[in-house]
Amino acid sequence: MPGQHSLLIPALPLISQPQPYLTLTGRAGFSGFPSPAQDYEPRTLDLNTRLIKNPTETFYITAAGDSMEGWGIFDGDLLIVDRGVKPRLGHILVAMFDGEVLIKRYALYQGTPHLCSAHPHYPPLPLEGTDCQLWGVVRAVVHEYLR
Amino acid sequence: MIGLVDANNFYVSCERIFQPKLESKPVGVMSNNDGCIIARSAELKALDIPMGTPAFKLEELRQRGEIHLLSSNYELYGDMSARLTQLLRNACPDVAPYSIDEMFVYLDGFTTEQCEALGRKLRQRIRRHLGLPVCVGLAPTHTLAKLANHVAKQDPYYQGVCLLGGQDHKTEALLKRTPVSSVWGVGHRLAERLAISGVSTAWELRESDEKQLRKRFSVVLARTALELRGTPCLTMNALDLPRQRIMTSRSFGKSTGDFTQVHNALRRHAQRSAEKLREQRSLASAVMVFLNTNRHRRDQPPYFPQALIALPSPSDDTRAILDAVRQGLEQMYRPHHHFMKAGVMLVDLVDAERHQLSLLGPTPHHHHHPLLMATVDQINQQMGQGTISFGMTNAPAAWQLRCAHRSPRFTTRWDELMQAGTHPGAIDACTSRT
Repeated sequence: MPGQHSLLIPALPLISQPQPYLTLTGRAGFSGFPSPAQDYEPRTLDLNTRLIKNPTETFYITAAGDSMEGWGIFDGDLLIVDRGVKPRLGHILVAMFDGEVLIKRYALYQGTPHLCSAHPHYPPLPLEGTDCQLWGVVRAVVHEYLR
Repeated sequence: MIGLVDANNFYVSCERIFQPKLESKPVGVMSNNDGCIIARSAELKALDIPMGTPAFKLEELRQRGEIHLLSSNYELYGDMSARLTQLLRNACPDVAPYSIDEMFVYLDGFTTEQCEALGRKLRQRIRRHLGLPVCVGLAPTHTLAKLANHVAKQDPYYQGVCLLGGQDHKTEALLKRTPVSSVWGVGHRLAERLAISGVSTAWELRESDEKQLRKRFSVVLARTALELRGTPCLTMNALDLPRQRIMTSRSFGKSTGDFTQVHNALRRHAQRSAEKLREQRSLASAVMVFLNTNRHRRDQPPYFPQALIALPSPSDDTRAILDAVRQGLEQMYRPHHHFMKAGVMLVDLVDAERHQLSLLGPTPHHHHHPLLMATVDQINQQMGQGTISFGMTNAPAAWQLRCAHRSPRFTTRWDELMQAGTHPGAIDACTSRT
């Protein structure tokens, strides 16, 4: 809603967040037996480090439409798009095609590069002779069952 | 060598990344509360619509669909600016942000060829990886780098990257055809005064006697002349001199992770910035706050956050700026980092006299006590910096920021992300369904 956050206009820092709790180091108590966990630095698995390789160049996009379901992208899914990745055949791309932003698989069709859907109703779009521009490469898709 | 990386029509370019439909259309971005035009695309410039045009005068054009006007989306611009800075930090030895869309990079020890190659590579990478068009100026001094950037922007021959050696024929030829008013730090008034003493081109300024310049004009102008000769004599902390933006930043004597200490430093910078702002009779539309950890300490994680906070309406009131600074710090602060440097930058300055009061915007007197500010400035001038300063300010009142045409905050809000269709027409089909 406009106005709702009207005052707070922050730009989020691009560094992954630090651990939400203080790290456990040192001894278990002020006297007595040292903690056996002392030498094992506590870690928590951070999805950011797994899914985001280039934080500066990573953007999130929402998918709309059903024609990529065959490749696991459903309407409303969250895409993690890395603009720092060089596109290769087989990658799923975000591309600007005829003034629209499209999610497609970059693949060969009849021997030439096409933007392919995973749906029989939508034939592959040839790249030759079109003004198609790459926006980014989809690194991962997040499909939430509970929303 | 010093490089200046400057984004082309930064605000408009940020919008176009996420709205490709705006590509090659005339697009303008409006100031806070949709008051006047603060950024223009090349196409809008071609329609002879000047900067600062009140938005209501363009309403008819907008409604006829001939131009696109957007409310300022500082959250988006701030995030893209932080990404640009970070990308440069990953690629260059040393980076200093000069404004929201201009960054100096320091390339000591690089050969001329290496500098030019890096400039081209950076330009391509920023375009490809961030979607931002930039131009790069390279030269031995800040002033020449600024000029080189200007040339890179104006002359398509350079394809966005221009390197000036400082002593070569190319530099000489360029300086000879550059009016002195185009030199960094030389304003219109100064250019007029210079013209009277026979200095009308950048080359004539360069060839002027340094002592004479110092005597008849200022130390700053004498330094500018030296810089045009290729002798570096401006440092980053002196760089706010052209005063289109105001920046105050200092390194801490000793790195600190303490919130209060960092906040105190920022408050000092905020107050100094506000004074500079009032001195030149301007109002700021937004405040950028940044923190740096020590980049030479390998044992500590690097953290260079920045935050851009829009002011409820353009203001020169120290308290409004202090509020914004506190909000920015609260956004960025992480307890386990030790900071080496903190800074405050005031962006999108508008002329205090010419500023339009918006009908529906917050009432100006809410945060506007010119007499109070004038008194504070006077006391500080007479009795010394910081004689009177502001303590903690209260939480701000809930102003409504008018932003009827603001695009979504694509990079900072989960519920405002960019949409991509899985097939042509998918987005339209989805929006019509809901």
